[in-house]
Amino acid sequence: MICLENVVKTYRTRRGDVKALNDINLRIEKGEFVVIRGPSGSGKTTLLMTIAAMLHPTSGIVSVEQNNLYGMSIQARAKFRAENIGFVFQMFHLVPYLNVVENVLLAGGTVTNKNKNAKALELIEQFGLAGRSYHKPAELSAGEKQRTAIARAVFNRPKIILADEPTGNLDADNAASVLGYLSEFHKAGGTVILATHGVEAERFADRTINLRNGSVANLDKP
Amino acid sequence: MVILGLIFKEIRHRKINFMLGSLAVTMAVALFISFFTAAKASNRETARLMLSMGFNLHIISKDTDMNEFLLTGLPDQTMPEQYLQKLAHQSEISYNHLLATLQKKINWRGLDVILTGLAPEVCPPGRKKPPMSYQIERGNLYVGYRVAKTLGLKETEVVQVEGKTLKVAKCLSESGGVDDIRIQCHLRDAQDILNLPGRISEIRAVDCLCFAPTDDPVSILRKEIGPLLPEAQVFHTKAIASARAKTRQMVRNLFAVIVPFVVIACGVWIGILAVMNVRDRQPEIGIMRALGYGSGRITLLFLGKAVIIGLLGATIGYVVGTALALNFGPDIFKITAKTMIKPESSLLACSLVLAPLFAALASFVPAMIAVTYDPAVTLREE
Ligand SMILES: Nc1ncnc2c1ncn2[C@@H]1O[C@H](COP(=O)(O)OP(=O)(O)OP(=O)(O)O)[C@@H](O)[C@H]1O
Ligand SMILES: [Mg+2]
Repeated sequence: MICLENVVKTYRTRRGDVKALNDINLRIEKGEFVVIRGPSGSGKTTLLMTIAAMLHPTSGIVSVEQNNLYGMSIQARAKFRAENIGFVFQMFHLVPYLNVVENVLLAGGTVTNKNKNAKALELIEQFGLAGRSYHKPAELSAGEKQRTAIARAVFNRPKIILADEPTGNLDADNAASVLGYLSEFHKAGGTVILATHGVEAERFADRTINLRNGSVANLDKP
Repeated sequence: MVILGLIFKEIRHRKINFMLGSLAVTMAVALFISFFTAAKASNRETARLMLSMGFNLHIISKDTDMNEFLLTGLPDQTMPEQYLQKLAHQSEISYNHLLATLQKKINWRGLDVILTGLAPEVCPPGRKKPPMSYQIERGNLYVGYRVAKTLGLKETEVVQVEGKTLKVAKCLSESGGVDDIRIQCHLRDAQDILNLPGRISEIRAVDCLCFAPTDDPVSILRKEIGPLLPEAQVFHTKAIASARAKTRQMVRNLFAVIVPFVVIACGVWIGILAVMNVRDRQPEIGIMRALGYGSGRITLLFLGKAVIIGLLGATIGYVVGTALALNFGPDIFKITAKTMIKPESSLLACSLVLAPLFAALASFVPAMIAVTYDPAVTLREE
């Protein structure tokens, strides 16, 4: 279970403070598929990063399975991320000098490991990238990059996948396949939190959270 | 192991970046090597060049008629030859190149000449230096330019000097000074000719007080030599001594400023490159952090590359710098190049330590800072 209590995130800039999250209280159950919707600038990425143990909130508590994410040390938080959370970003964020297999393996804390290598190749095949295993990101299409990113996200069998506009740079077919993979992960018992300003993801979602100016607007849909 | 793999993969992927980085370190190290070599060689070369201005220290008998000595440059009294050995056996002294002479004006074949007997030059213990004066063998005579010209002497000719048979071993070229009217032979031969066994008239030397913090070097020399040779007095040729001291000081000070400056500039240069490399790779740091890599491993990723570039650049830079020095050195340092300009393994060791160290230190700071930010912040910086 993911739990946010009175979470506030204020970005301090030279031109003044920007309140990106305004007193968010939220519970997401284990195994849920939640879509966070909202217009650009409403705080979706900020919320996702906060849940992902990648961004300190200004105040409030974020906990995952009773672990207070920002109460632990930097190293402990890094370990927690490695073991529990997978990410998919709109900009893919692959390492440019590693090929597909190595990018996936990187999540397993290695780039060369016989056992893990076999597992990575298997995953890559599942994601329809078999012919692309030894290509660098620069040689891949956007859809292939995002599938590589998803393979990397699920490689460690995380409990939670956080996806920020995973289909934002993809055409309809690729978008559908990415959503399909996330849905499969969800059906296998994983928790998925997906931020988007579109509506395509909602048919997979258990619940949609609407975000407006850093606040939760409503909790609609059962 | 993972990190080493990543380092090499990154290097292979960004070959140009790696080559430019190594090239910059190479140039910095080459600059350091060539400047350092130049600094050492020019100190030495200057010292040698300044020696050619001649001896600047004269030790003569206390009883010498000073008026006469200043007028003619010839002491009219002698002192014991052992004085030379006494001086030479001092280890805590500020002079070098000891040359004992016995000189007297004589009339030879109707010509006024200065008969000069030269003892083999000696150096104080542990300060072996190449001699500055002629080392004349017994039985040989070196004839000054005017003397040879006036008397029509040729080399290998055998002559008589006051009853002693000597061979003209050398007719010297014109010096424009008193040497042109000298006939020079071994000290022993001169002692025989003048019938002054065991006596010398002057000890000449070069002082080593160029870097002494004093305006009055002669008082130091008098303090050192006075108690040792009670029957002697010390003179300093001030013009020569101070020109020598000032030139050497100037060259040394020049390089004392330039060398550290070059070292620091090269260090900063290598450092800036390392910092820029880390700045360029912020997103990568973000990804690795997001995937749960600890700050230690990520810092190692950057330190590792910095060290590799540092080692490679230092090695090539050493070769290039040494090659430059070997190529251009002999044209600049005509006397000392042979001994001073040569590959120095200590400089290689120094570069191999300093270059990676500068690069690693410079990478360490921005990498550590990047690692303390939340990964989301680092990832945003695109
Ligand atoms: N590093 C930052 N410094 C200052 N302000 C920021 C920073 N990051 C985000 N913001 C601001 O916080 C607010 C929320 O940003 P966020 O990126 O979370 O929005 P979003 O919902 O993900 O938008 P989009 O759909 O365009 O991705 C915005 O007003 C944005 O300008
Ligand atoms: Mg966003």
